[in-house]
Amino acid sequence: MGVDFMHEISGAQAVVETLRQEHVKYVFGMPGGANLPIYDALLDSGIRHILARHEQSAAHMADAFGRVTGRAGVCMGTSGPGATNLVTGIATAYADSSPVVAITGQVPKAMTGRNAFQETDVIGVMTPITKYSIQPLSAEEIPSGIKKAFYIATSGRPGPVLVDIPKDVQQEVRDIPFPESVEVRGYRPYVEVDPLAVERAAEMLVKAEKPLIMGGGGIRISNAYEPFQAVSELLMAPVITTLQGKGSFPEGHPLCLGPIGMHGRAESNKLVSECDLLMAVGVRFSDRSTGTFSEFCKQAKIIHIDADPSEFNKNKQVDLYIRGDANQVLTKVYNALARRISRRSDSNPWLARIAQVREEMKSIPAYTDYDSELSGPKIVRKMREVLPPQTILTTGVGRHQMWCEIHWRVLKPRTWITSTGLGTMGFGLPAAIGAKVAKPDVPVVDFDGDGSFMMTENSLGTAVDEKIPIVSIIVNDRSLGMVEQWQRLMYNRRFSGVKFGNSPDFVKLAEAYGASAKRVTTLEEFGKALKEGISLDSPAVIDVPVSSEEDVFPFMPPGKSIKETVVGPPKEMAIF
Amino acid sequence: MTALKILSVLVENKPGTLFRVTHMIRLMRLNIEGLTCGVTNGGDRSRITMTVNGDDATLDFLAKQLSKVIDVYEAQTYSPEEVTARELALIKLNLSSVSHLDDRRLQGARIVETSDRSITIEVIGSPAEIDRFIHRFDSTQILELARTGTTAVPKG
Repeated sequence: MGVDFMHEISGAQAVVETLRQEHVKYVFGMPGGANLPIYDALLDSGIRHILARHEQSAAHMADAFGRVTGRAGVCMGTSGPGATNLVTGIATAYADSSPVVAITGQVPKAMTGRNAFQETDVIGVMTPITKYSIQPLSAEEIPSGIKKAFYIATSGRPGPVLVDIPKDVQQEVRDIPFPESVEVRGYRPYVEVDPLAVERAAEMLVKAEKPLIMGGGGIRISNAYEPFQAVSELLMAPVITTLQGKGSFPEGHPLCLGPIGMHGRAESNKLVSECDLLMAVGVRFSDRSTGTFSEFCKQAKIIHIDADPSEFNKNKQVDLYIRGDANQVLTKVYNALARRISRRSDSNPWLARIAQVREEMKSIPAYTDYDSELSGPKIVRKMREVLPPQTILTTGVGRHQMWCEIHWRVLKPRTWITSTGLGTMGFGLPAAIGAKVAKPDVPVVDFDGDGSFMMTENSLGTAVDEKIPIVSIIVNDRSLGMVEQWQRLMYNRRFSGVKFGNSPDFVKLAEAYGASAKRVTTLEEFGKALKEGISLDSPAVIDVPVSSEEDVFPFMPPGKSIKETVVGPPKEMAIF
Repeated sequence: MTALKILSVLVENKPGTLFRVTHMIRLMRLNIEGLTCGVTNGGDRSRITMTVNGDDATLDFLAKQLSKVIDVYEAQTYSPEEVTARELALIKLNLSSVSHLDDRRLQGARIVETSDRSITIEVIGSPAEIDRFIHRFDSTQILELARTGTTAVPKG
């Protein structure tokens, strides 16, 4: 293993040089007292710094960059409040297994533990929400520390890694070693795939009469799109996804049923209880996907494929698990299947049953009953008509996000960027910025709610100043709509703390930031504004006033099983 | 059903590792009944041995989660019967409570320090043996008591 030395450079220069060696071109962040040396070194580095307005947004930008590219996004903050502001963004990345390297300044070593100005034990704060954390205590440790951070953040099941660097360490001038590669003892992110398990899986899949395949975020992480689709097509097995896994299979494909879950597609929620074999890949059986664990898919045998062995039998007992990278495992499963069968016929009782359920579901209120001109589902469908297939869509968290879950069709890999695990409001706009930086040539649209948008709306300043042309659509009901829905359905319409007043005027707000802005009142105007928005070379905001009374269905109420999914408004409480 | 279990975790011997391990125990709302930690052969790794009270499912889950922590090499849970377990106790007794140094109650212990008002003894044994030893004295006779907590290796 080669080690190069750079002579007489500072720790801060070593930070920037290591980032260069890791092929980092963009850093999202904010400077402050304890990371000034790094910011000084950045200026000469050729790395583009994108100035956030709040460190939380910087972390979301880096997170989305990571999800779009598969490479670690980098965010920075100073010590104390800079670092604690990163927390929500880092927790979001952790919950969705997104590769992020966060670099924070820390007070000088001699000040540690003395309640120094802007001192926070950020490693203590972030240990539960990071995959790992590293604190170099001398400049010589910086390159290997940061390289380890990148390696850990992007390998195995990815996640955020924190590098916390005391200011005096940034300032030390030394001869600093740059190892070519690093090793982390005791960390084995990749294992040989168990060939016997693969053969057993193939046997089970071949025998199954009613197979169903479920894709999660792991498909994206390991770029397993091709073998995933190949396995499904070979078996003619329909595909359901988690919300994070939405788009792991093209949603226009005839075998795609769409997401399951609290606001999943009705046909997916129904058919998951009818299959005789479920092969789940890169999923963690979250409660939002499955409902009551014990009732979920209990009639079927389950095969679980995941890179993280701690997920096996965590929420759901399974019949067979295979540890490994989804791409590798699925390729092996495909080969094992291809030795046994040729492409299955597209007419069999199971596919007939699927078609029947799909037909039945077409007329459920959730898919048909939209009163107003600017109904959530209509807006989402219109958006799909207007936007090209390669468009990246980010979202906030709430009703608008759930309408996307049900009605948006993800057609291309890595174009659906949403916070599912942590459910972080405020994710959409900064995520759109990070995604646009990663993929400047495709349209990037933040489909947001007013509540979510307001949490990080100052990122518009970043988009305008840094010339990052994204479009934010604000589904504006002047309410925390999803909470309002729960209060309507489960708290007898006692609305507590959900209604906003008329502030702000989003058009004026956007214009104050220097973004172009439109308020639309018809679907046609919306389509037109959106088309125009993605053609601009500057950020745009579209304010779409909607009613707060339109609830999202299908809805699997919390604490219920997936069989208890409600497919329409309460007056027609239809339970399967 | 909860029962005492031994959790044995082999880790990197470096700052912060114990914190990474114990925060997982706190997350699972388990109480650490005993904890020992010491370097293993080579000096660059440590073995943390914890006694915790929990049900099998929680402890299996915990061991899996711990195995995932970057600085952890392995994490295993054992029932007490599966391991050879030892614990050391230092017991400082009121000198007046012990009539003479060949008091039968001191059998099995080693006297490690005496003063004009106290006698400190060392006892090594299984946790149950230590419990029984301590019960030879009443609480007024014991001035101070320190137990190391269990350390253990699997049998066989």
